[in-house]
Amino acid sequence: MSKNIIINLKAAWAITKKDIKIYYLKPGTLMFGVMFPLFMFLSFAIGRNLPALSLIPGLISLTVLFSASSIGPVAIPTERRVKTFERLLSAPISFYAIILGKALGGVLFSLFISLIALLAAWLFLGVTMASPFILFFALILASLCFSLLGIMFAMFPTENPGDIMMMLNFIRLPLMFISGIFIPVETLPLWAKLVSSFSPLTYANDLFRFGIEGKIHFSLTADLVVLLLSAGAFLFIGIRLDKKFRE
Amino acid sequence: MAINKQNPKAIEVLGLTKEFGQLVAVDDISFQVEKGEVFGFLGPNGAGKTTTIRILTGLTKPTKGKVKIFDYDIEKETIEAKKQMGIVPESSNIYDDLSAWENLIFTADLYQIEKNQAEKKAQELLKTFGLFNRKNDKAKSFSRGMKRRLAIAMGLINNPRLLFLDEPTSGLDVESSLIIKKIISSLSQRKITIFLTTHDIEEASRSCDRVAIINHGKIAAIDTPENLKRTIQSVQSIEAVFNKTVSWQEISSLEKFPFVNKIQKLGDKYKLFTDNPEKTLSVLWNFSLKNKLRITSLNTLGPNLEEVFIKLTKDK
Repeated sequence: MSKNIIINLKAAWAITKKDIKIYYLKPGTLMFGVMFPLFMFLSFAIGRNLPALSLIPGLISLTVLFSASSIGPVAIPTERRVKTFERLLSAPISFYAIILGKALGGVLFSLFISLIALLAAWLFLGVTMASPFILFFALILASLCFSLLGIMFAMFPTENPGDIMMMLNFIRLPLMFISGIFIPVETLPLWAKLVSSFSPLTYANDLFRFGIEGKIHFSLTADLVVLLLSAGAFLFIGIRLDKKFRE
Repeated sequence: MAINKQNPKAIEVLGLTKEFGQLVAVDDISFQVEKGEVFGFLGPNGAGKTTTIRILTGLTKPTKGKVKIFDYDIEKETIEAKKQMGIVPESSNIYDDLSAWENLIFTADLYQIEKNQAEKKAQELLKTFGLFNRKNDKAKSFSRGMKRRLAIAMGLINNPRLLFLDEPTSGLDVESSLIIKKIISSLSQRKITIFLTTHDIEEASRSCDRVAIINHGKIAAIDTPENLKRTIQSVQSIEAVFNKTVSWQEISSLEKFPFVNKIQKLGDKYKLFTDNPEKTLSVLWNFSLKNKLRITSLNTLGPNLEEVFIKLTKDK
């Protein structure tokens, strides 16, 4: 590994540690992280006579989507307003290191919250994991993908977090309904299947179902490749947007 | 002006232009800053100061032109060029939720400074800037002056060869302002190049080896503060105090001389603006003899940099 890559990885990790201290360990953020899956679970479970096992993958999908993509889009415009983002931009590191540092915070937060949700599901509902290793890997990959989604939106040159959240929710909320979370993909009509195939959340949910229930609609390879490609696309578009707006 | 490869300057700017659509924010400017020089960059709001600094620090790309920092091209060798600099923007961009210590160590991490070295340097800077006793307090509990001191300390954590200081003492309390001025002076003695933007013209006059005045995106003047002052001789003046009160009618009679441009009464002093101090002194002497007055105090004053600034930015 070249010296440059190591330098940038170290800088990215410094940014992640700083973000964890400033944003992720705030009581409000932690409370949001813990309460969010609980309320999601209740809204899923109440009034539906479904076994807990079939609800957990969807719950984890939503937890990962929202926890990974929520803080970056708030932190970046806020830092732009107080000019601390410029401190990162003026440091002798690559822009990729800044993005990676920011994304990693979202990944770790999302992992922490989803693992709490899985632990609670195991303790209180007796849910076991069919493939814990695949599930853990899927959690990391999906968290990275959605964290980068949030950061891609944060590259719009605004100093107001509300502007970014509005745009982001315009995408995140429809994703909830077209990704086979409430209704499994295999039972959707053809047109809805087509639409759902464009959502990275569909593939994340498919992986989580495999990890928890042992069932899969697409294939492990397809799910992993789509998530990786989506993460790469969000990173690429984010960097292009920054370049365009900063010039 | 050609860029000299043999003896690289701290900053070399050649034909720098930045356009935002139809607006030309920086219009074909060129200048050089020598190693160890304190270089003042003055201009009214909207003159192109901030855009120029953003280009020099690699935050914005120019439309045209070249910038070299210690011979590193800011566009092609951005990381190496950035390693040479410390940047202290006008808004003290520190992390309010981190302590002074954490702010410094985080900045050191961004500059890949080894842990032991970073801790040693952070300790030294906190002491220099009078913040050591508050090192574990979150920056949000700091006064504006303390935040500014911390921001400058963060700008120095990587031992930069070139420090960009944007309005370092603007709106600060006397204590912080004095500490910062002392530090600027000690940095210049240590041959650290300082690129200083300020609205405080007297500060620029006191601290800078050379000053550039930018207006409407163009460099209106670039010279030493004293040379700039000499460019507008018409605002030289003589201040005199007499042993007795002089009536306005009597003293204003001196305005009949073509080289006496204006007379002002300032308390017990009379200020005669002139473009010929020598002749004015002579008529003032004759005036005192004729009116049986004794001159108890006499000062000849050159134009201050503020007057130069106003004249140059108005003329352009």
